[in-house]
Amino acid sequence: MRLIGFSTGALARGDFRRALDILHRRNLRAVELSALRFDELEPLVDALPDLDLHAFDFVSVHAPSRFAPNLETTVLSLLHRVARFGLPIMVHPDVIYNAEKWQSLGNNLLIENMDKRKPIGRTRHELEPIFDALPAARFCFDIGHVRQVDPTMTEAVLMLRAFGDRLGEVHISEVNTASRHDPISLNAVHAFSAVAARIPETVPIILETLLDQGQSDIDAEITRARQALTIPQNAFHVRRPVPTP
Amino acid sequence: MPQSADSVSYIDQLQTKLNRQWTAIQKARLDSGTRRTELRKIFSLRNSPDTSLVVFGSVARAEVTGSSDLDWILLVDASALPEHKAQELSIQGTLADKKLIKPGKSGVFGKMVGSHDLVHEIGGEDDLNSNTTRRVLLLLESLPVDGIETYRRVRRQILRRYFDDDRGLFYGSGDVRIPRFMLNDFTRYWRTVTVDFVYKQVADRDQKWALRNAKLRMSRKLVFASGLLQCFFCHLDPKADEARRALRTKDNSVLTEYFETELSMPPLETLAKACLIRNVKPETASNIFDNYDRFLAILDDEPKRDDLEPAQSHDALRSSAAWREVSEVSRPFHRGLVSLFLRDDNELRDLTMEYGIF
Repeated sequence: MRLIGFSTGALARGDFRRALDILHRRNLRAVELSALRFDELEPLVDALPDLDLHAFDFVSVHAPSRFAPNLETTVLSLLHRVARFGLPIMVHPDVIYNAEKWQSLGNNLLIENMDKRKPIGRTRHELEPIFDALPAARFCFDIGHVRQVDPTMTEAVLMLRAFGDRLGEVHISEVNTASRHDPISLNAVHAFSAVAARIPETVPIILETLLDQGQSDIDAEITRARQALTIPQNAFHVRRPVPTP
Repeated sequence: MPQSADSVSYIDQLQTKLNRQWTAIQKARLDSGTRRTELRKIFSLRNSPDTSLVVFGSVARAEVTGSSDLDWILLVDASALPEHKAQELSIQGTLADKKLIKPGKSGVFGKMVGSHDLVHEIGGEDDLNSNTTRRVLLLLESLPVDGIETYRRVRRQILRRYFDDDRGLFYGSGDVRIPRFMLNDFTRYWRTVTVDFVYKQVADRDQKWALRNAKLRMSRKLVFASGLLQCFFCHLDPKADEARRALRTKDNSVLTEYFETELSMPPLETLAKACLIRNVKPETASNIFDNYDRFLAILDDEPKRDDLEPAQSHDALRSSAAWREVSEVSRPFHRGLVSLFLRDDNELRDLTMEYGIF
């Protein structure tokens, strides 16, 4: 059975402790600690040694999605502190200003494919030079982003064909035309299921559906994510599990 | 993003190989480049998500001549908004201000078009003539002025419909993989054009008969030939090897990407590619390209075009030197195509016999 959890930012924006409480109470065993805003990173890194994460089988950290180039060194030094805990770090490719500096994160670094608003990282072709520059980096496959860019899911298949052997985490939600993370619709379930067999069952699934304003609820989103990513019997493209680093 | 197939000029390579100078084709390519740049500049401030201003015809085929008109649609792939109508009117107004020649009266172009029918109405009673035309031409001769993401998204959706619904691609018993559903749609479009040509003789009281006839014999036929070749390349082109391998595992994503790239080539480039990569005799290639070059020269010659424009019948054309020239180029061009598909190359002949006729 797939390991499915939540991004803390989706459950309680800016309050990872409260989000962790919610997940504990639900007995969910995968979490992505969100520091999407630059100001959230340092408090999160400072709190890491004391956070009770033992109940989780999978923990990752999402790096800030926007900061100025002059803050790259600061961000990287904080992320190196995260890497010391052995945690995977999700990064948006458009904040990798100097790829050489990010190489030292090795395979702790996971590059995420982008939504249509971003100028890079949206397609396999746009991701190729990024992985070329960061050969040890792994892949965070955002299935909602790729569907927003290409509803036929052709791009999703092409990405998984190209980078499936680097796959370390999947983000799932419905990404609407304004690029907000909405509850997963039935159309999305249908579209996502087309690539389910290409995602090994061992890869953790992180829900990014925003629930902070009662848009949906945890159980409904987990049910839909599970439904979307169930590997059909006799599927052609079942990918072997990727060894964890 | 797929690498643009445009970047390789097969026409230039063929011209060198045959030691020819196709000056009218070269001029049309340059003029098309200028027209495309001009259009992109005119509409550079048009920033409208989920829409794309798409042009068809000579601009897309890289065959612009002096009096080329401008066929366009505002492609909408989004929720319906009142602003889309305002955009349509604004495009019409801008093009009129710039004195760019309006599309014909058929109603196929010069308006906003939603993506739903293009993608979902392939075949069946609701696949109107105009819908088929837009869909097929969106694949075979179109160019986005802006909104390239929307344009790509819709084209990809259409391709996926053709491939997802084509069981022969996945379950065919032999080794040959031809996108037959798409091929049949291309063929249907071409036959519709030929039937409508006769219909318009009556409906339009033969207005523009000669020009329409000339285009039918040359540019319309060229577009169909290029579509047929693209379908056959799925089996013959070494660049499609990976796509064919992926089909064996029920994966048509690579094929979709292959066609997106290849269909971005203007039709003449596709024909030049066939002449280069297949066993095509030099005289066949010359018959096609020498005569197409002369055809574009006729269209680019104002007096000759003026001579053709008002002619409404064979009788009216008997004294027309321009029409005689059109006849002189269209026959060897046709013979060239027949040789390309049915005589020179055994595999192309076999595919044409197997898939192109019945």
